[in-house]
Amino acid sequence: MPKPDKSIDLMSDEKIMEAVKSGNLQQASLLFDRFHKRIFNFLVRMTGDRDVAEDLTQNVFLRLLKYRHSYNPEMKFQSWIYQMARNAFADHYQKQKQLKPANMEVEKLHESLPDLTEALEQEETEKRLIRALAQLPDDYRELLVLTRFQHLKYEEVAGFLNMTVANVKVKVHRAIGQLRENYFELENA
Amino acid sequence: MDKQKWEGRLIDYIDGRADAAERAAIENELLHNEAVRNLYNQLTEVIGAMNEARVLEPSGKLKANFEQALQEEIASQARPTKTVFFSPVVYRVAAGFVLLMVGLAIGYKINQSNVEADRLARLEKELEENRQMMLAMMDNQLSASQRMIGVSVAYEMEKPDDEIVNVLVKTMNEDVNTNVRLAALDALGKFSNEEQVRNELIGSLKTQKDPVVQIALIQLLVTMKEKGVLNQLEKITRDAGTLKAVKDEAHAGILKLS
Repeated sequence: MPKPDKSIDLMSDEKIMEAVKSGNLQQASLLFDRFHKRIFNFLVRMTGDRDVAEDLTQNVFLRLLKYRHSYNPEMKFQSWIYQMARNAFADHYQKQKQLKPANMEVEKLHESLPDLTEALEQEETEKRLIRALAQLPDDYRELLVLTRFQHLKYEEVAGFLNMTVANVKVKVHRAIGQLRENYFELENA
Repeated sequence: MDKQKWEGRLIDYIDGRADAAERAAIENELLHNEAVRNLYNQLTEVIGAMNEARVLEPSGKLKANFEQALQEEIASQARPTKTVFFSPVVYRVAAGFVLLMVGLAIGYKINQSNVEADRLARLEKELEENRQMMLAMMDNQLSASQRMIGVSVAYEMEKPDDEIVNVLVKTMNEDVNTNVRLAALDALGKFSNEEQVRNELIGSLKTQKDPVVQIALIQLLVTMKEKGVLNQLEKITRDAGTLKAVKDEAHAGILKLS
């Protein structure tokens, strides 16, 4: 069995994606290894549902293959793949909105969260955190998932959310403030 | 205490983004101000909980499914065609010339035969396939861009049939995406000399709630000189729940039509 090429491991995400774009599709496997867990965690925090998050993660990487020709090498690969993950989530959200009866608020994602929390036997604190997070508006939740759970820098997030860094920071602060209120209200509930 | 301002300062402090002077000021406040101390404790707990939240592991089938899809994609990539090189160049030119002559001869032969009927049948089949594809695109609930392309194809048609008109009307009235609704309205506008389309456009003015589409619809109906909508326009100008911009457009429409 051939030894894995270590020089490839050192290649930047952008170089690997360029190789995929120019026809070396097998390299997409490497990008999958590097990013699938991050994308899955982003989507699981956004949807509150492991199965849906797995389907959407799969969908993101299929999009990577399908739209490989549209990749702009000047764009950071990480920004591109997060953008596709956001699109996959938005499409899913729209679909859910159409499938659910009109009187059911899709925003109440926390209603589907007990499955996640029970399955993982998480501690009480994390359960409360997830519920508090699910009560946030989508844009606040997304910013916290990206900057606090995924530990992306404000500059990186500003890049693909098309916002200024200062604006990202202000919104993250507001989101944490609201999360804090939700979190301690749940404690007293 | 300005809670929002303090939250911002404390978050920067917890994140290690405060400079020395700011740190000293905050630490002094923490010693003497209980409300700020409580806020700090709560923020520390919430931020700590986020930092410590576990990284979730996807199931193994995710990797397996991706690898399978990848191998299928690799297999479906254009298979390399065997290329025959003629060398020197003159042979290649000669081969090209021979191929051209053969092609012309075949073309001439085919022309001699009665191919017109076949060609028409093929065209009809292609048209029907395109029509079905367009309807399927307009019905694609997962992708607004696909629906948009479907509507644009419909716009290019010279005369749509009833089914296409019905789908366009449904799209104009119900699509979740404003741009797709507007595109459907554009397409229907092009066919507004058809009585069915005209009636649907008039009917939509009563039910349409999206202000952007409402304004475009009013403008279209005014261009069509459709006086039958005057009552509805007046209702819009009196409706308390309607946006001012829409009311203004309705006023302008009434002036132009009456």
